[in-house]
Amino acid sequence: MEKEQLKQQLKEQIIQFLNLTNLKPEDIKDDEPLFGEGLGLDSIDSIELIVLLSREYGITIEDPKEGRKVLVDINTMVDYISAHRTK
Amino acid sequence: MSRIFITGIGIITALGDSAEKNRQALINEVCGVSPLTNFDTKYAGSRPCGEIKKPTAELQEGLNAHEHGVTRTSVLALHAFNQSVNDAGLSIAEISSPHTAVIGASTVGGMCLTDELYNDANMTTGSGSEYLASYDAASVVLYLQSRYQLNGLLNTINTACSSSANAIMYGARLLKNGLVKKVIAGGTDSLAKYTINGFNALHILSPDLCTPFDRDRKGLNLGEAAAFVVLEKEENLDGKKVYAEIAGFGNSNDAFHPSSLSNEGNGPYLCMQKALEEAKLNPGDIDFINAHGTGTENNDLVESKAMLRIFKTSPPFISTKANTGHTLGAAGAVEAIYSILNLYHQEIYPAIHFQQSIEETGLSPQPDYRKTSLKHVMSNSFGFGGNCTSLIFSKA
Amino acid sequence: MYIHDYSYISPQHTFRETDIASIVEYTDNKLTAIEPGYADIPPGVLRRMGKAVRIGIGAAMPVIQHQSIDGIIIGTANGGMEDCIKFLNQIIDYDEGMLTPGSFVQSTPNAIAGQIGLLDKNTGYNITHVHLGLAFENALLDAFMMVREHPGTQYLVGAVDVISSYNYHIDLLKGTFRKDLISNKDLYNTTTTGTIAGEGAGTLRVNDIPENAVAQIRAIKMIHTEDENEIKAALQDFLRQQVNPNGAPDLFISGENGDERLLKYYRAAESVFPDDTTIARYKHLCGDFPTASSIALWLACYKSPLPNHCIKRPGSLRQHQSIVIYNNYYGKQHGFVYLTKYQHSQLLLNFLYDAGTGCRFFPVFMI
Repeated sequence: MEKEQLKQQLKEQIIQFLNLTNLKPEDIKDDEPLFGEGLGLDSIDSIELIVLLSREYGITIEDPKEGRKVLVDINTMVDYISAHRTK
Repeated sequence: MSRIFITGIGIITALGDSAEKNRQALINEVCGVSPLTNFDTKYAGSRPCGEIKKPTAELQEGLNAHEHGVTRTSVLALHAFNQSVNDAGLSIAEISSPHTAVIGASTVGGMCLTDELYNDANMTTGSGSEYLASYDAASVVLYLQSRYQLNGLLNTINTACSSSANAIMYGARLLKNGLVKKVIAGGTDSLAKYTINGFNALHILSPDLCTPFDRDRKGLNLGEAAAFVVLEKEENLDGKKVYAEIAGFGNSNDAFHPSSLSNEGNGPYLCMQKALEEAKLNPGDIDFINAHGTGTENNDLVESKAMLRIFKTSPPFISTKANTGHTLGAAGAVEAIYSILNLYHQEIYPAIHFQQSIEETGLSPQPDYRKTSLKHVMSNSFGFGGNCTSLIFSKA
Repeated sequence: MYIHDYSYISPQHTFRETDIASIVEYTDNKLTAIEPGYADIPPGVLRRMGKAVRIGIGAAMPVIQHQSIDGIIIGTANGGMEDCIKFLNQIIDYDEGMLTPGSFVQSTPNAIAGQIGLLDKNTGYNITHVHLGLAFENALLDAFMMVREHPGTQYLVGAVDVISSYNYHIDLLKGTFRKDLISNKDLYNTTTTGTIAGEGAGTLRVNDIPENAVAQIRAIKMIHTEDENEIKAALQDFLRQQVNPNGAPDLFISGENGDERLLKYYRAAESVFPDDTTIARYKHLCGDFPTASSIALWLACYKSPLPNHCIKRPGSLRQHQSIVIYNNYYGKQHGFVYLTKYQHSQLLLNFLYDAGTGCRFFPVFMI
């Protein structure tokens, strides 16, 4: 899958998974931080995103520190998905 | 307003099915947390729990509790309820009197039957299981009502993990306001696939035995328990045995996040402060604390900070959740009874599983069993939704 | 204890622009709340809320936006049960695999009070009563004690319950709801077992200040029994001790819900009142749910006379100042609430009377 296509798909999945109904995929910038400033997600969201990676891409992240490195912004997530996806 | 005393206690936890058995286990540093055996879950081997090893049928047999739709949560409650009213020497007429209130607390209620609930909730035809009226938290007190034909004020509180501390507080307030003459208050929760999966999904269940207040803590162990206390007013004691006085209570909301505490521990700080005010005590008067101490990263750090904020140097404290697991809706009442035992026997129990302090706060829980003079013991309970409650018991 | 603001989100037009002269009709035995737009709630917060939390907060916003409150006291039988079933389904569907925790956190009934506290940055008293059909009455009693214990403070008291797949299916299996579909307008016209489902969220502000109050709650009584004769006797006692020696309030609001199995309780209660007393009903407006008596209290506080569709028996009184509410759940849990409503001309008199007798803070509560 092309990177841009994957980004678009991931944004749609994040919106659906986290019920961010007030956002459209184009509202999420690729380098916008997911947590704190930026999208303003919190610790529960980070766990939900790890579940998303597991269900949609077959990626298991056990170590929270690993999670923190992956769940920075759309770019870091897409890079990680491309490298580790099993489905 | 009247002084309120505890005249009866009843308890069942993974440590034992009476107050004395629980006390001996605490003195002897027993840990009741172990792999699950009573029901099937994928986590039976990997997430140890403070499980009461008797299967539900055996508990029912012992209490002759074979009513239609009775659940483990209700049976555990009945065990502790019976014990508390017997201990206080209440007659059947006193228990069922219009002037006796029963205040229960539970978070899981009949949802311990997670699979039955799933089937019933997704079924639109057919007749359903026998548990249709048993899933909600109120079903426990309603069961006690039908069993004892209770005629007094009844209530059920669910504020997650602080539920039964709030039930005891509500009971004490009913007495102080002169609305009832006696109160039987407490809480109950049994282990459930529902809560095990819930806490596991939050990544706060420890794969090992939990280590409250330890630098390397990995999360909590769940547990199951029921505990009830009988509360009576000073003027109605009539020479009766008393365990302790309930001198103070306070509840506050952390108002920070649905499932974690604020960094500064505002909720924990405020509830302790309110309880001290209610008891007309200074922080220095508290001799011992039964902390909430779940063993999660967030709770133990925040609770430590709040303790330091209010006490400057903390009095001796432990978390008995290392012994019992976190018994959720029962925890407040279980730990109230442990605090009452501290006072009644003038002794403090040692923390188990603790090795190294959290660097930021440097607090270490009580290392060994000790006979000591105690006047005032504080018991803290914090729950989801930022709900924080502190109770203070005083030597009678 | 005095009621000041009272806002309600229900299956009727009860929120902000109220209009209950005509009935919103439902024909599927499920009366669902008419939800407002929630423009005041940040979208980031709103996205995670189940309906119970959402309508609870929606109803609380008009109160907490304009008033500083000292605590939050909620009565709810089930709280966020929709989230509970969502999480439960995940457990089974994903075979206890990796699950999303959001719905677990929201499934605790105190998520409503917790979330209101969070939005209001309120660190005061925060409690959730869940005693099924008496959850709201216990919340009122709690508020009464708080106001009495801490003079000069005020509280947000709320009632919230929603129709979720959980409680609807389970209550349907229990026989709570009718099997045949009817219009809510015809709720009282048939004699059959079962009622129709409903939901709602109401929040009121209470304190010890009579000035500008809408009403004063004077007494609450709760009983657990299945014997209608006990209900009759208890109500007679309640009226004699709390209302006046003749035991006659101006208005009686009954929780009659179209279920013939429960009619005997409401008939027993009605039989206690003299012909003068107006008898009103309300469950055709909101359906039945464990904390439905909260909408009876809202109607009791309503600014205008009750619409004709609520009146079962007109009685002979044109003004309804003393009001008794009775509700029962499953014929087992029974609650009575007695209140007096203020007309403006009355307010000063009442205040003087209360101040004169020194009982302003101590309406007698009989339990």
